[in-house]
Amino acid sequence: MAEVDPFDSALDLLRRLDPKHTSTHLNSLISLVPSLTEDLLSSVDQPLTIARCRKTGRDYLLCDYNRDGDSYRSPWSGEFETPAGGSGPGGVDDQGNNEGAGEGAVPSLLVRQMEIRANEAFDVYRELYYEGGVSSVYFWNLDDGFAGVVLLKKVATPSGKSEGAWDSIHVFEAVDRARTAHYKLTSTVILHLSTGSDNLGEMELSGNMTRQIESDLPVEDDASHIANIGKLVEDMELKMRNLLQEVYFGKAKDVVGDLRSIAPLTEANKDKATHQEMINSMKR
Amino acid sequence: MASQLATVSAFVEGAPPGELADVIADIKALTIESPNLVSQLGPAFEKYNEEQFATVKLPGSSQHVIVSSHNSLGDGSYYDVESSSSFVFDHRTQKASAVQSYVLESSHIDLVKSLLKSVGAHVKEYYPSASCGIYPIEDDSKIAILVVANKYSPNNFWNGRWRSLYIFDPSSSSLKGSIKVDVHYYEDGNVRLLTTKPVSLSVSSASASAIVRGIATAEKKYQEELNKGFNNLSEGAFKGLRRQLPITRQKIEWDKIAGYRLGQDIGGGSSKR
Repeated sequence: MAEVDPFDSALDLLRRLDPKHTSTHLNSLISLVPSLTEDLLSSVDQPLTIARCRKTGRDYLLCDYNRDGDSYRSPWSGEFETPAGGSGPGGVDDQGNNEGAGEGAVPSLLVRQMEIRANEAFDVYRELYYEGGVSSVYFWNLDDGFAGVVLLKKVATPSGKSEGAWDSIHVFEAVDRARTAHYKLTSTVILHLSTGSDNLGEMELSGNMTRQIESDLPVEDDASHIANIGKLVEDMELKMRNLLQEVYFGKAKDVVGDLRSIAPLTEANKDKATHQEMINSMKR
Repeated sequence: MASQLATVSAFVEGAPPGELADVIADIKALTIESPNLVSQLGPAFEKYNEEQFATVKLPGSSQHVIVSSHNSLGDGSYYDVESSSSFVFDHRTQKASAVQSYVLESSHIDLVKSLLKSVGAHVKEYYPSASCGIYPIEDDSKIAILVVANKYSPNNFWNGRWRSLYIFDPSSSSLKGSIKVDVHYYEDGNVRLLTTKPVSLSVSSASASAIVRGIATAEKKYQEELNKGFNNLSEGAFKGLRRQLPITRQKIEWDKIAGYRLGQDIGGGSSKR
């Protein structure tokens, strides 16, 4: 039998265990198989943490891509909070690797200029679609273009016993070609919802879904990069919002109905038979 | 730090409906360097199976019978009232063996038998595929009524389980228990519905028909509440998190995004200081 890659097994396990506690499971996996730490941290999406930029007072989001050890780069100031120093501009290490930023990645001056504009653009996007919440965009250099992550988070204002939290994590690569760029977008939305009452008891709907697309789009200048990424993220979020709606409130509800029928089954079967008979008689 | 055994035991405990074997396979691959670990998981498997009301087909029978703490005879043995038999359950492979005749002795034997009939009929009428069990518990002072319905569709990446547990106390004619629903959907993602509803009601008489009436009413009411819960979350919390489209009902004109900025005074988050 072929040996199973423990990394694949870890991801499979995370796809099965309660997604509300992904962070706990992730920590358990890391303590169980320390050699997977880096791979797991860079490929498993967790709910985002909010921090406040010391320089501008604005909230921003923390993730592996703006992290350097224990400190994080604010998109508003561009500076590391509790600077542990950021090495190599563009997040490129000694060997020329630049997979994922993190580890103190700092975009080059030009890419930082784009990052500033992208943060402004997605701040508008956030207000228009989320009417609140926090957004952050981080860019880093690639040898043949650049890459980045667009983050959005909104926690619902609690009403009664209902709670909700939405985290969007869009990681993209933009590879320059003549007058176009090739974009590859991987998007994850983490959505947690819960409610409860005396009659209902406790009800929790939690999870995450991931989708990918690739697209070639025309590029005139840096501004078109931001517009292209904006459109891609906007379309993807619309698609994913519809998908989440379908799975959370359609599929999950249907499965409950498959487990137990509200109407007596003999009645439901009789109705079905009558219905079938009617169809048959119309066919004649 | 939790011990490795506690860590993997928690993984077992969290296995979604119908996915225990997958979780075990993952644990095996992850602990290949400490193969002893999986062999120590016996208690975790037992806990999982008993809590989840695991069902098993007895050799030579087509009926699924329940495995739970309420019909445990100890040492991995369980009994089934309907077939008057006991069996040994392998918690790791979820297979039954060593079926023997087992005659239940209880002062409530008549009620147990008539409950078996009427709960069985109720289950057939409302669950396309479910098992039930009726067991005297707590020194023959109470009666446990269990219902478990499973629907597995791994090819379509979803699995579901409904569990009802009611403890009937003949001295007070009361039913106490809980209904739990667990649904897992995992196509390009991981979505889980987990619900718990405590149930507490009193029945008019200690007869099987009165008890089943109480159960049927409670379950129907709960399922209707649950459907309302889906609606409320969809219309409330979900809508409040992210709009489908901006208030203008139009997608963003990204070429003009800088202009939005100037005109943007829609209040809220952006300038929270």
